[in-house]
Amino acid sequence: MKRFVIGITLSSVIASTLLGAQNDTIEVKQLRQEVNELKQMMLKLNKSNKESTDYTEKDAVDPFYKSEISELKNTVDEMKRDLESNSKSGFQLAGYASFDWTDAQGADNEFSGVKFAPIFHYQYGQIFQFEGELEFTVQEDGSTETELEYAAGTLFINDYMGLQMGKFLSPLGQYVQNLHPSWINKLPSNPLGFGHDGAAPTSNVGIALRGGLPKVADIRSNYTVFVSNAPTYGIADDGDVVIDASGKTTASDVSKTWGGRFAVNPVSGMEIGISGAIGEAAEEITVGADTLNIARDYDAYGFDAMYNINGFDFKGEYIEQNIGENSDSALEGGKWRTWYAQASYQFTSLKIEPVLRYSDYHNPEQEKNQWAVGINYLFANNVIAKLAYEYNTDEDEDAVSSSANDNRVLAQFAFGF
Amino acid sequence: MKNIMKSFTVVGFVLLSLSTNVAASEEKKADSVNGAQVWADTCMRCHNLRAPGDLSKRAWKYSMNHMRVRAGLTGEETRNVLAFILESKTAKDAK
Repeated sequence: MKRFVIGITLSSVIASTLLGAQNDTIEVKQLRQEVNELKQMMLKLNKSNKESTDYTEKDAVDPFYKSEISELKNTVDEMKRDLESNSKSGFQLAGYASFDWTDAQGADNEFSGVKFAPIFHYQYGQIFQFEGELEFTVQEDGSTETELEYAAGTLFINDYMGLQMGKFLSPLGQYVQNLHPSWINKLPSNPLGFGHDGAAPTSNVGIALRGGLPKVADIRSNYTVFVSNAPTYGIADDGDVVIDASGKTTASDVSKTWGGRFAVNPVSGMEIGISGAIGEAAEEITVGADTLNIARDYDAYGFDAMYNINGFDFKGEYIEQNIGENSDSALEGGKWRTWYAQASYQFTSLKIEPVLRYSDYHNPEQEKNQWAVGINYLFANNVIAKLAYEYNTDEDEDAVSSSANDNRVLAQFAFGF
Repeated sequence: MKNIMKSFTVVGFVLLSLSTNVAASEEKKADSVNGAQVWADTCMRCHNLRAPGDLSKRAWKYSMNHMRVRAGLTGEETRNVLAFILESKTAKDAK
């Protein structure tokens, strides 16, 4: 029995070994076949790759292909240039926008301003340009105020002269005409007296000649001369006596305003300008049942300077407007004047810009000054976040409780496009 | 009489300046080297510099005419600055 069991066991082992050997033989055959197939595939791939490489190298060195590609590139470039230069007239939308937050003494902090000011540019060749700026601002009651800041066409008469017609920003000084856009102004607020109904005129309706002049002794210069409708003088809705020196489309039965500005650039990054205007201001008075305009003598003077060097930026400006007397009026005349000085430094690597400004405003009813210190972060040169603190002082001793004494924290996000 | 004199002065000034040839000035070749100098001297006086890549070539043409009025540039300076910006833009775009 024992031998029988051993015999069966041995037979099983031998049989399984023989069967295994047979399976191994089949697998080896299969593997060999697969290896052969893979070799064939490799050979095919190598051949295909070689053919492809040969084709590219051939193309790259072939002067015919080279010249053809170069010719095609030139044709495309020419077509692009033609497309741009053939259109004599064209249109561009630019502008700026800002969003303000204010925390003033004696008041709740508030999201205090939203402004959107699109600027439209139209150009015909090199001889004519129209530019117009609309200013949309959200009011306290949620309504939207719209103002046409300027809308003027300029006919370029020659390299040194353009004839501007329409409503243009006041050429007196620099702040109003060039520095007021919120992405350019380095602080969230205007200097005292440079807003509407302040000491600085805002705009004119009329015509102006302006341009750059040929260099004299290597010094560049520019000029503006203008004639426009007169400003008005009177009591505003809030009870203040104001000179409304924004552009109007009526002569108001008084003489027009004549004025101009001349500026020189003695060194790189510097401009010094003087400006002035003379004419009459119209005041509306009531005589019996009639309303009529009377003339008041009017003149304005300005001096401005700015200098930018090695990251430092200095700006300063003085403006005054004077109203003469008229015995037919109950309102006295007087002087509206303002000035400011500002310094800033741009740390370009940190994209940070600290700013310091002092401004001083005087009119027959008010005397106030302001220190403002701020810091800006430049996400880009035209995308700026500003944070500032204003220290306000009302110099009129009888108005100690005046809101003009309230200091403020201001923040603004502004961008130009 | 005073107003008539003023009006004549303005009209005379305009007619005198009209006698110059606008077309001829347009054809002058722009000098981008001078443009670079004017660009460096002038733009940062008022605002942060805008990089050439900020605007399209077409937009730069309109912006430069706008700046001609704003900054009191001559026509030649305007063309030179534009040439400088467009050359800088092309060189940068090509990289």
